[in-house]
Amino acid sequence: MTDIAYKPEPALGGWRRFSSAEPALAATGVMMLIMMLPTTLALLIEVRTVNGINPWIKPLKFQFSLAAYTLTLVLFARYLPVGLLETRWYRRFMTAVVFAIFAEMAWIMAASASGHGSHFYEEGLIWIALYPLMGLFAVLLTSTTTVFAWHIWKNQSADLSPAVKSGVVIGLALTLPATCITAGYLAGNGGHWVGGTPSDASGLAFFGWARDGGDLRVAHFFATHAMHFIPAFAVLSALIFGAKNRLPVYGASIAFAALIAITFVQAINGQPFLGFLG
Amino acid sequence: MAENWFSIANMAALVGWLLLLASPFIPRLADLYAALVAPCLFAAAYVALILVYFSSSQGAFSTLAGVARVFEVPELLLAGWLHYLAFDLFVGAWIVRTARKENISFPLIFPCLFFTFLFGPVGYLLFTGLRVARGNRLWAAEPGVSR
Repeated sequence: MTDIAYKPEPALGGWRRFSSAEPALAATGVMMLIMMLPTTLALLIEVRTVNGINPWIKPLKFQFSLAAYTLTLVLFARYLPVGLLETRWYRRFMTAVVFAIFAEMAWIMAASASGHGSHFYEEGLIWIALYPLMGLFAVLLTSTTTVFAWHIWKNQSADLSPAVKSGVVIGLALTLPATCITAGYLAGNGGHWVGGTPSDASGLAFFGWARDGGDLRVAHFFATHAMHFIPAFAVLSALIFGAKNRLPVYGASIAFAALIAITFVQAINGQPFLGFLG
Repeated sequence: MAENWFSIANMAALVGWLLLLASPFIPRLADLYAALVAPCLFAAAYVALILVYFSSSQGAFSTLAGVARVFEVPELLLAGWLHYLAFDLFVGAWIVRTARKENISFPLIFPCLFFTFLFGPVGYLLFTGLRVARGNRLWAAEPGVSR
């Protein structure tokens, strides 16, 4: 290496260091967070309702969720093999993923701006045609978890303890299939309510899940957040049961998969999640 | 409601213009507010108004009469006004920054700012004329990079 080619690595701190692991997803996450400001203002001045609630609650939830999703992936991206981000297929894949994320957001916001729901809205040819397309985009953007799971698993030089690595890989690997099953059923159901009142007006605090019948969004929530719950448990487990002990992580993964299955079946049977809360 | 927010927005813009007038003494604060904070706040409010009220309009952008119908909705008229406020102030801040970089004395840009404030494009045209008269390069790929 010549003197001219040598450049000392600049000391990156805080956000710049964090985002450098996956700059495209980091930027997407920040843009989702920034969009929460005008969406909150819209929520405050809105007078219409969709399914009994303010139409801007849903876009706000999605902006927050997609920010959490992309920024979590940025957190995991540091354990991807070196050089993966520069490969051609990965760059094309990530371009498609980022496009899909913005398309979903544009779709949901345009539906709210038009004063109707985005999912299960069956009037107007464009909206009917867009729905299955948005389903495909949702699968595409969620498939990032599978790509990450595979490459982190294969990465022998990832700076991760065995317990945390298995938690990250299992959590990421579980996210796409579990989401496809729960969200796929939800899409085919024609609405997230099973029995009960088809309104979101008196849902569970913050989440809005139905209290007088089944709500298919519960299982979808746990399925999609496998990538958060299982790695988070693995970090705790490494501290409590030891960093080389994978067994607690395996146990927790099975228990979490069971939780997804139970909440899924519960909703299909028309029972509310945590019904005793009233 | 639209009338109240109109007044608040005008005040917020006026603060920006006053800061630009005081920019020789407080350049950082003037830049921060007039080029970033105020335009972003206007933009957020603009987006919110468009999201909530655009679908209620019968207008269209394909004809001038259609555009006029868009602005029949007071909230969309307010959105249009915020657009003016945001971009005029942004251009004002750009004039101040560019003048500072090109060592144009502040009294010379005062009329440019005054007209940008009142009749946006007039001020921009004046400032461009001023730069032509001084023989400054009007466009460049990057500052400091020679073509």
